[in-house]
Amino acid sequence: MSFTDSLMAGLGLVATVDSFLALFIGICIGVVGGAIPGLSATMAVALTLPFTFSLQPITGILLLLGVYKGGIFGGSIPAILIKTPGTPASSATILDGYPMAEKGEAGRALGMALWASCTADLVSNLALIFFAGFLASFALKFGPPEFFALILFSLTIIAGVSGESLLRGAIGALLGLLLATVGLDLVYGTNRFTFGDPNLMGGLNFIAVLIGLFAIPEIIAMAWNPVAHLGQSRSLGQSKVSFADYKRSFKSIVRGSLIGVFLGSIPGIGAAPSAFLSYSEAKRKSPNKDNFGKGEIEGVAASEAGNNGVAGATLIPLLALGIPGDVITAIIIGAFMIHGLQPGPMMFILNVDIIYGLFIGLIVSSFFLFVVGGIAIKGFRFVADIPKRILMPAVLVLCIFGVFAVNNNIFDVGVMFVMGWIGYLLMRMHVPAAPFLIAFILGPLLEDNFRQAMLMSGSDPMILVRGPITWFFWALTVITIIAITRTVLKKSVQS
Amino acid sequence: MFLGLFGIPRWVSSPSNVSNIVLSPTFWPYVLTVLTGLIALGLLLAGWRMTDTQPVEQEEYQKQDSKMASWLRLIALAVLMGLTMFALPRLGMVWTAMLMFVATASLFNTRHPLIATVCAVVIPLILYLFFAHVAGVAIPQGEFVRLP
Repeated sequence: MSFTDSLMAGLGLVATVDSFLALFIGICIGVVGGAIPGLSATMAVALTLPFTFSLQPITGILLLLGVYKGGIFGGSIPAILIKTPGTPASSATILDGYPMAEKGEAGRALGMALWASCTADLVSNLALIFFAGFLASFALKFGPPEFFALILFSLTIIAGVSGESLLRGAIGALLGLLLATVGLDLVYGTNRFTFGDPNLMGGLNFIAVLIGLFAIPEIIAMAWNPVAHLGQSRSLGQSKVSFADYKRSFKSIVRGSLIGVFLGSIPGIGAAPSAFLSYSEAKRKSPNKDNFGKGEIEGVAASEAGNNGVAGATLIPLLALGIPGDVITAIIIGAFMIHGLQPGPMMFILNVDIIYGLFIGLIVSSFFLFVVGGIAIKGFRFVADIPKRILMPAVLVLCIFGVFAVNNNIFDVGVMFVMGWIGYLLMRMHVPAAPFLIAFILGPLLEDNFRQAMLMSGSDPMILVRGPITWFFWALTVITIIAITRTVLKKSVQS
Repeated sequence: MFLGLFGIPRWVSSPSNVSNIVLSPTFWPYVLTVLTGLIALGLLLAGWRMTDTQPVEQEEYQKQDSKMASWLRLIALAVLMGLTMFALPRLGMVWTAMLMFVATASLFNTRHPLIATVCAVVIPLILYLFFAHVAGVAIPQGEFVRLP
């Protein structure tokens, strides 16, 4: 199929009112979800997932992508107005956004956040379109040993970058891998940790695990301390962002977008490090560097470009290799699975219409984000007024309905509750949940590819280093482990 | 230790004719158990070093009675979740969700009891309408009151 044929097939699939409506509604849900402190874009995507069951695959996935993109921008609204980031990715936006709000320039800061977010989003989507196909055609050469080496590399980097402690990240990832072994063994069909219960033979339901890990701990945390900690919201002020502001910050926006694209395309790094790196680079290069941290509009632009630049790029490893770029794309994998789709290089051959449909939808999403974001900035005070002590019971009810709907099985609701308590325990012990979930998804892939490689070679381990592709990923894994260990040792020496 | 010595031998079955250890269903759980043990050992060492070199980070000040109340709320929430699992097949999902909503809102000491009650009725009904009539999911109806 030529590029034009693929594009037309995608257009034929996506050019419906349903698809664009789903994308628009998704962005609205995402912006509101991201703007409510304590709800987060991740939880918004997880809670929307069950609603995609009854939709066409393309419509359902566009709905979730809309929530993702809206959520990342939405997180910047409370970061600027009440100094509470709606998502971890918006933490860098506080540095200059809140001082601007204190000076009565919240409207200007939010306007710049929106412009920078939409620009970075567009750059990121274009990067996805250009690189995903290329990477997928390369990945078609991968066999089980190559996939094993790639997944191992992804796990190393996820465990290393997702928390304040390498060891805690690693323990989270290992617990996720262990949990993924529950169910029937794929080669011999024997039971593993099923305790004789037929409900466990197919393994733990992915949606129940992810909702349990990301939504229920927030509800349990609310029971521990029900006093909502919403700060004082600032008014928008009279000043608005101008084209001159945008022009002045344009370099930082483009740089931040490219940083976002680069870091986003590496599985596991996510938006927060990208936002901080983009901010520090802008500070280093800006003629107004002394003003950074005191309410510099370029700082807001850089951090927002950094975190939104990641949004499209995290889909590169997801679509091309079937490996989630971050925790939200790990959840989006669930939507693919529900509709019987397996992201990865084969999808570029078997479901090319869906791939191109998604590309078109993503480009349109940048424009929708601009419209919805503009309205959301003005409407934030209504969102901020939603009492959290009513919101959380509503989330709980939504979780129960959503998790049950996956398999029509009450057992899954129980799994969700248990995972919720495990997630809460991990939260209290400062073990990040993201490596846990990503390892839970990648675990079966890692094991299957390992065992397939062993079957291919008659159990000769040398197959795992059989060619340049495996050497490349093994080298990256070793370099990553050395780099992370060095950082940890440096930190411990300094402290 | 528990997994390696007791959990895996007892709860992971492996056929006797496995030709190679790396293909055995127990191989992967054992590898992960060993790695988890090593990391846990690393965490213990790191914790021991920290207590040696740094003062232990004090948990934020919380009055004893409020801490007690927090624990009680946690236990109550756990009991509520258990009761939900018991009630779902008997009362049905909609009625159980309504009761769960009211109970958790009260547990969180909501300042808007009237809104909470209205939401407790409306939200499960909307979700029922969507999942049962739009998505075609067979929502459990229970043994007492059935919804259309």
